Amino acid sequence: MQEINYQHQTIITRAIIKAAVLMSEFGAESILIEQTAQRLGSALGINSVEISLIPSAIVLTTLYNNQSVTTTRRVHHKPINMSIVCDIQKIVISIEKNKYGVDYLADSLKDIEPNYYNRWLVVLMVGLACASFSYLQGADWVAFFITFLASSVAMYVRQELAKRRFVLIITFGVTALVATLIASISQLNNISETPNIALASSVLLLAPGFAFINSFLDSLKGYLSMGWGRWLEGILLTIATSIGIILAMAILDMKGW
Amino acid sequence: MSDIILKLILESFFASIASIGFAMVFNVPKDSLKFCAFGGALTYMIRASLLNFGFGIEISTFVASTAIGIIALYWSRKYLIPRPVYTVASIIPMIPGTYAFTAMISLVDMNSHGVSPELIELFIENGLKAVAILGAISFGLALPSLYFMRLNRPVI
Repeated sequence: MQEINYQHQTIITRAIIKAAVLMSEFGAESILIEQTAQRLGSALGINSVEISLIPSAIVLTTLYNNQSVTTTRRVHHKPINMSIVCDIQKIVISIEKNKYGVDYLADSLKDIEPNYYNRWLVVLMVGLACASFSYLQGADWVAFFITFLASSVAMYVRQELAKRRFVLIITFGVTALVATLIASISQLNNISETPNIALASSVLLLAPGFAFINSFLDSLKGYLSMGWGRWLEGILLTIATSIGIILAMAILDMKGW
Repeated sequence: MSDIILKLILESFFASIASIGFAMVFNVPKDSLKFCAFGGALTYMIRASLLNFGFGIEISTFVASTAIGIIALYWSRKYLIPRPVYTVASIIPMIPGTYAFTAMISLVDMNSHGVSPELIELFIENGLKAVAILGAISFGLALPSLYFMRLNRPVI
């Protein structure tokens, strides 16, 4: 392994922190981020990589012989996208296996394409998913179809808002409002025996499962501040959703589920 | 007896549809979708059968999520994909979304309509249920990888 001079070490540090920031932005677990950074560092010939994670930023130091390079990056949270996390994981493994240099890492990070599904397919499947929830909770068929309709339209609204890059809190609130407004059809003229199941299931596409699960996993593995941050994020999204539901209930003048 | 099994299979089919839908929201890679579907069906089946045998909902959830945690460990080593891709989509049918939303709505109701014993009861009951189930899910998921953390090497 050739000597690494200061310039080269800076380039390596930048490439590593770019990978770490991408993973943090798209919802990877903290331990995965730290391990990725450390594995990349040792594969690229750095002695050690130290990383400090807080919900809004990453501080990363690489050590090599007697020189150290430290850099900080801001993390902007984006909607969860697991395919990007998987791609970075695959890049790390191929660098470890084939002994590629830092250029390969920088190029392949630039070329990462998120794996987007066809948006109408997603609308259809999310509608079916929420309808399945209503079935699992014992809804009748009218409520099943109303849930399907409500959550499909809600998913379409959510995609439109995400395309315009609104903050997640606004997206969740508006989506919950739309879903509840449509699901309240089930209360008209008693067409469904189980209107409250339709109302409850149609907003389940907004349950922030990843935030809560990651929060618990992070806390259990020793990343307490990340755990708190994600917990608060989950709570905020739940509150935003509830406010959307409450607004819809106030508009329609109904009380409770 | 065969009625119960038929109902269980039908319900786990719907649970797997729910898992696929949420896996698509999280943009998982295309070839891991079938594993998410299988995981969703499996966790639901384990939980429903344990509930049938009279266990509490927290214990059943815990066992189901530990099972998917162990299976996902095997999958993630085989296909080199981080475990949350499989596990989070699989446990989605068990997420206590309805409990959490009811708790939050009763909290907001208390503010706008005044505090009443019914609303406090609603909030505490649903909030506790949501936190307990969520804790069972995440502790179950974390257990297999906590076991490997002792060996101080990456899981995959």
